[in-house]
Amino acid sequence: MSALAEILFGGLFQGSLYAMMAVGLALVWTTIGVFNFSHGVFMMLGAYIAWQLIELGLPAAVAFPIAVVVMAGVGWILQASVVRPLIGRPNIVLVVVITTLAAGSLIENGALTIWGPRSKQIPALIAGNATIGGVGVSLHQIAIIVITPLILAALWVFLNRTRLGLALRAVAQNEDASHLVGLNVTALYGLAFAIAASLAGLAGIFMGGYRFMSPVMGSDPLLKALIVVVFGGISSISGPIFAAYLIGFFEAACSYYFGLYWTPALLFGVLILTLMVRPEGIFASRSRGLA
Amino acid sequence: MTNTTSPITLGHAEAATPIAPGRTPWEQEAIGFVIGFALLALLPLIFGDTYARHILIMAFIYAIVASNWDLSLGYGGVFNFGHLALFGIGVYAYSLLTKLAEFDPWIALFASGVIATLAAILVTIPILRLKGIYIILVTFGFAQLVMQVIISQSAITGGTQGLVRIPGLYVFDHNMVRDGKSAYFYIALALLVASTLFLRVFVRSRAGASIVALRDNEEYAVSRGVSIVRQRMLTLAASAFFTGIAGAFYAAYQRNASIDVFGMSLATIILSMVLLGGTSTIYGAIIASFVLTIFAEWMADFGAWRPMITAVLIIGVMLAYPSGLVGMIKASWGAVAGRLKRPA
Repeated sequence: MSALAEILFGGLFQGSLYAMMAVGLALVWTTIGVFNFSHGVFMMLGAYIAWQLIELGLPAAVAFPIAVVVMAGVGWILQASVVRPLIGRPNIVLVVVITTLAAGSLIENGALTIWGPRSKQIPALIAGNATIGGVGVSLHQIAIIVITPLILAALWVFLNRTRLGLALRAVAQNEDASHLVGLNVTALYGLAFAIAASLAGLAGIFMGGYRFMSPVMGSDPLLKALIVVVFGGISSISGPIFAAYLIGFFEAACSYYFGLYWTPALLFGVLILTLMVRPEGIFASRSRGLA
Repeated sequence: MTNTTSPITLGHAEAATPIAPGRTPWEQEAIGFVIGFALLALLPLIFGDTYARHILIMAFIYAIVASNWDLSLGYGGVFNFGHLALFGIGVYAYSLLTKLAEFDPWIALFASGVIATLAAILVTIPILRLKGIYIILVTFGFAQLVMQVIISQSAITGGTQGLVRIPGLYVFDHNMVRDGKSAYFYIALALLVASTLFLRVFVRSRAGASIVALRDNEEYAVSRGVSIVRQRMLTLAASAFFTGIAGAFYAAYQRNASIDVFGMSLATIILSMVLLGGTSTIYGAIIASFVLTIFAEWMADFGAWRPMITAVLIIGVMLAYPSGLVGMIKASWGAVAGRLKRPA
């Protein structure tokens, strides 16, 4: 019983964080058709901005939303500076990989210079601990498990029920037609990046509440988010969400039964197998040209 | 190579190698090649101190890795993000072969190249059906997988601690330590010459033309009888051999092996060398390796600002000159030549 509860809880918790990260990656991929390798750095920056605001004396309830909004601005700026000028180039996928990697390195080293290498921590969403099903958990983690699906649901409503969200999806489906019907495609590209960056920043705030922060804290979650996105299919938003939880459970079960060391290797083995059998991802019905 | 590719038989054998328009005649290229590397061979006469030579040796190693990456990335259009894993496999293959199996260092160096080639063939299997971003993701996953296996087998590989006291190379009874690094300098240069010669001959051959054809128009190339499976495997295997040897040489030269070779930072630097130099040139990647390595050293005083300046520089060049440094040189040369010789 306690083993099952532990796997279930661990899977839900890790899955929530992965989902927050992966959705942003998938959103940028579907709308712009590029992979944002500075996504992990967004996560780190969100956490550090929140930490800095709290250090300046703001209460957490004010600091967290401000950090998320600031991250939206960072995402927009990054898109305008290193992604938008490249749109239309034949080798855009590759060039954006290198420009976002370079931008990530710039922000990461900038954070290291400003805030130093010493580990920091931001306050938990809710302090305290609880015991559920024989497993000791912190209320912070419970809060993340509850809040994440709400945010993802809000994103779903935004993308499916609002005019702006539909415009975003229209750009994702057919860019030329979106131009023709008068959508401001450039602004929508910026919006996709802004949403992705604020979600990553929020994930960073969540993570900074239970683990020590460092300037390189985003690289491992980025890697996991990449796996999730590939696993779930790159062409939709819901695919990566399901995949995030599935990978979360898989990881929790693996580390319970095989130990922490073998988990990443098993995970990558599963990933490569998935791609050999279903290159478009297990939850995808249609793909964006696989290119 | 089977003759299924060209049903029309040509009168003479020389026509077998396709000549693309605007291609440099091989005689010209050979002269430039010999002069360029002869100048590099004279560098130790100018730079007597061991530190300057150390920088040059590192630039040679990076140049081998970057130019081989250009073969798969630029010519083949295969976004192999596991290229640095092949380098890392070379590092660890050499270290383990010399340390545990007690191989002769030179045999281990060669064997590391072979092992890296086999690993490249292995990673080709899952990506045969994939394109573009999916290849990036799988090969990226492969690199992480190799790293995780090395970390988890810490009893043999030293895990995150790495390996130390790896046997170095030897040249007869020559003292490798007290010669101001000149022996290692010339070995590294010889490897770079061999690698560059191999790459240039490969890309100018029929096989090289066929992988470019696959990159530019896959359907047409396949319909003309180019096998995508065989050529993709050939591309990755060819790009792996000298990469693995470079890794082995790196381990022999540094005398230690660490997990850092699989890290994102090294991959980013090498990838920027490939892209900064301009893809599908081989020489561009080599020039960019020298420029970036020396530039990084020149900025050593800037400390923490160094990676930031490098990042801004990379972004700037990528935005302004999509075809990299070679494109930049060509553009400025074109402007100069245009002034000197006005077209009729």
